[in-house]
Amino acid sequence: MPRTFKEKLLSDDFLVTAEITPPKGTDLSEALGDAEILRGLADALNVTDNQRAVMRMSPLAVSKALLDNGHEVIMQLTCRDRNRLALQSDVLAAYSLGVRNISVMSGDHTTKGDHPRARPVFDIDSVQLLGAIRKMKEGFDLSGNEIGGLPDLTVGAVSNTDLSKPMQLLKLRKKIKMGAEFIQTQAVYDTGQFQTFMEHIVDMDVPVIAGVIPLKSAKMARSMNENIPGIKVPPEMIDSMENAKDPAWEGLSICAQTIRELKGLCRGVHVMPIGSHSRTPELLEMAGIRKEK
Amino acid sequence: MIISSAKPFEEILELLKEEDDIFILGCNACAAKLHVGGEPEVIIMQQRLEEAGKRVAGWGVPSAACSVASFDSLIEKSPALKEAKVILVMACGSGVSTVSRVAEVPVYPSNNTNSLGGRSQGEVIPELCAMCGNCTVYYFGGICPRGQCPKQLINGPCGGSKDGKCEVDQDKDCVWELIYLRLERIGRLDLLDIIWDPDGIPD
Repeated sequence: MPRTFKEKLLSDDFLVTAEITPPKGTDLSEALGDAEILRGLADALNVTDNQRAVMRMSPLAVSKALLDNGHEVIMQLTCRDRNRLALQSDVLAAYSLGVRNISVMSGDHTTKGDHPRARPVFDIDSVQLLGAIRKMKEGFDLSGNEIGGLPDLTVGAVSNTDLSKPMQLLKLRKKIKMGAEFIQTQAVYDTGQFQTFMEHIVDMDVPVIAGVIPLKSAKMARSMNENIPGIKVPPEMIDSMENAKDPAWEGLSICAQTIRELKGLCRGVHVMPIGSHSRTPELLEMAGIRKEK
Repeated sequence: MIISSAKPFEEILELLKEEDDIFILGCNACAAKLHVGGEPEVIIMQQRLEEAGKRVAGWGVPSAACSVASFDSLIEKSPALKEAKVILVMACGSGVSTVSRVAEVPVYPSNNTNSLGGRSQGEVIPELCAMCGNCTVYYFGGICPRGQCPKQLINGPCGGSKDGKCEVDQDKDCVWELIYLRLERIGRLDLLDIIWDPDGIPD
């Protein structure tokens, strides 16, 4: 019997999670194909929830399709598009369909996406949603009505690792207090800075899974530094991307090195490539990660 | 103070396309302080409407358009109102609504209403308060995250702020950055440890 993500969280395994993007449309073949590449390599697949406020298929449907294909999923749930009724109702729906892991986050603002005039909801925030799910696991909804419990649900949250913003750390503490059982982070490039982050939260005793995004070009690195909050690609990394004959390979190689360094610092990596997972197996191979099937 | 701003004049003309004998009603409270409904702006509106070929029946600037006893009390101060076929109110939405309640003629707005804000040292400060009906602003150093954070986050910032600026508007400071600095200055960083429940009550 393969172990569940929860059992693996409680073990000493170095975990691999990976991001699957729902389709813009109804054709699931690309998402399922991406998941297939990761079979036996990833311990769980995160299904994003209208990521960057771009409208896509509901993560609920994609999670169900992945479950039917024998994958373990972490369904992401943002506070942007649903009020507290809809959030709780989707948690119930997900659980009844077999989803056992949920990761919650505020969500990018609607103005950043492809429906910029959509009304953002933000009825409750990620800390409050964690509290709500904790209550649901105990058998009650937010209003105290009995719902029978969701005993096997594991819930996680996300965080930046930039310590120059003390409020980010304060919020992470609140998330853990409200029941976050694992943390997935924004993409890490500077493992020295990440180490300092880990030292700051050592008292929190929560498994941290560090995000990684393989670079594809120096241009992409600069653009992420400029546009994506919480991401800092060090200048020397950008230089080696600039000078590389095969930038995509260089990006993979840098990422593999980052993963090797992360192995001693945290509980796993969360792979979020731009585009498909076609080179993720190669990346994990280079990083020396082998999973027992 | 209710922050309102003037609609483009073309939009006002379009609103009044079929109308004439217009009475312009200003507001000597917020709209006057913001220069979108005081006497000078009312006089300019009269000139522009007349230049555009409209008949203006008269004008008046009550102390507050949102506090009107009756239509008769308005007529007492501005007898020309009796002859007016429509009223153009240069005030916020509550001013327009209050006048509409007592007036027997159509009432049009000249302003858009934006938020509950303030003004200090000549600067207009929008969105200071979300009017949530449960004031906890003290716990945030007098800077309300419900009013100023586009995600209304009361337990701390989202992951979207960059270099201390807001995800939604890079020209705006992340309100949580401001709250932190303010609480640090007054020695009350401990208030940041409070976990707020979905109803805005300490958990």
